Amino acid sequence: MSRRINFWSLCALWLMVFALSACGREPVYQSQSYVFGTLVDITIYGEEESRAAELASRIQQDFQRLHQKLHAWDESSELSRINRAIAAGESISIDTEMADIIEQAGVFSAASGGLFNPAIGGLIQQWGFQRDSFSAVDIDRKAIDRLVAANPRMEDIRINRKNDGRILLSSRNTAVRLDLGGYAKGYALDRAAAYLKSEQAKNALINIGGNVMALGRHGERPWHIGIQHPRKSGAIASLDLEDGWAIGTSGDYQRYFELDGVRYCHVLDPRSGYPARHLQSVTVLVPPGNLTGTRSDADSKPIFITEPENRKKMAQQLGLTHYMTIDQAGNISVSAAMQKRLQWKTDVKPNILQTLP
Amino acid sequence: MSNPISSRPYRDLIGAIRPGDWLTVLTTIAVVMVLFDSLWLGETASKVQIRAGNQIHSTLSINQQRVVEVPGPLGITTVVIDHGRARVASDPGARQYCVKQGWLDQAGQVAMCLPNQVSVELLGSRKIHDSLNY
Repeated sequence: MSRRINFWSLCALWLMVFALSACGREPVYQSQSYVFGTLVDITIYGEEESRAAELASRIQQDFQRLHQKLHAWDESSELSRINRAIAAGESISIDTEMADIIEQAGVFSAASGGLFNPAIGGLIQQWGFQRDSFSAVDIDRKAIDRLVAANPRMEDIRINRKNDGRILLSSRNTAVRLDLGGYAKGYALDRAAAYLKSEQAKNALINIGGNVMALGRHGERPWHIGIQHPRKSGAIASLDLEDGWAIGTSGDYQRYFELDGVRYCHVLDPRSGYPARHLQSVTVLVPPGNLTGTRSDADSKPIFITEPENRKKMAQQLGLTHYMTIDQAGNISVSAAMQKRLQWKTDVKPNILQTLP
Repeated sequence: MSNPISSRPYRDLIGAIRPGDWLTVLTTIAVVMVLFDSLWLGETASKVQIRAGNQIHSTLSINQQRVVEVPGPLGITTVVIDHGRARVASDPGARQYCVKQGWLDQAGQVAMCLPNQVSVELLGSRKIHDSLNY
């Protein structure tokens, strides 16, 4: 009798092993699309596939909507409509979302002392970066100087919320051209995170063109993110991106052109009108809180643009504790808090690993 | 139908193992651990995943010689797989970043041809990271 029980318990054990191996397939759903002129990757963990697909599709639709609304060089976008009104010196009626975005972008711009400046769309266009497929442009110094002298700033914009609910936007400077290229992706991350939370989806990873935000975990472990090497294929380091954190990088290697051996990247210094050239990349890691995704997008720009001696002060000014810079010689600097989070790849030999206080 | 664990022949078997046998057992364990480390936890790529638009175009072994033509909105992106490495050989996009990137040979490496919506990612036996910040 006992032998028979043992035989059946062995059979049961085998069945369980098979059942568990079937369960072992991880409940991960991944969707990919091209929005904002870049790659959007949404990974959802722990939801049934049909529900995960529905959530991801809703998010992709929202991104598509934002892309069309905030497109800086598509004539039919709402942002282009605003830019045309500003150029003509007219005021224009905008919706609440647009008003909130522009006001918030203005707050970020002020915090960076104007180095993050979404009002310099004219300059960005002059440099040829407002194109889907750009190539080297002839650098028109006079035109650039004129655009810098016109000094377009976010402070020039007035948003008037009327009692009847209408919102009117106007600019005291007709040279203002809004380009939210350093803002929209981060804003979209925050929207996606808020949407997933409202739907009680707890574990997801959203990547919009390299800006990544984490919700929850990948099952038993945190989400793990690689940081692209600015000059090589593959990652230079990696880190666990905990619940609610976001990471963003500004680099000279994603959008740039070369002319006479000089690399001109898409991040422009609004003071000179020329591409910032101190660094290969800036990576910022932003803790959970208000506007985490937006900060991961916008706050890397002032660090990228500012002079090396002002970098530490700028980080303080922006409230950044976790950041990494890689200069043109490949020297890596990391803040002490960032260093604690990073796992360097073994084949990466940081020339100098300065720990900034 | 005997219970294998408590049976007498089984206990005799363990008793019969000689020091040389233990050496064999230990060597085997060591070899398995080394193989596990290099093949399973290592970053050697085993597959190439090509994505086009919102779809996975194909997932192919990296240990072969093959040219894959991937259609996108601008035209054909050509991916070459060459015994353990892969690269984008040609792409209709203007900037050519993905072509300039050259050969990929480590798991986790990605080449993206954004205008033509084609990406090439090397996969290992495990994912090095869930996503890439760039």
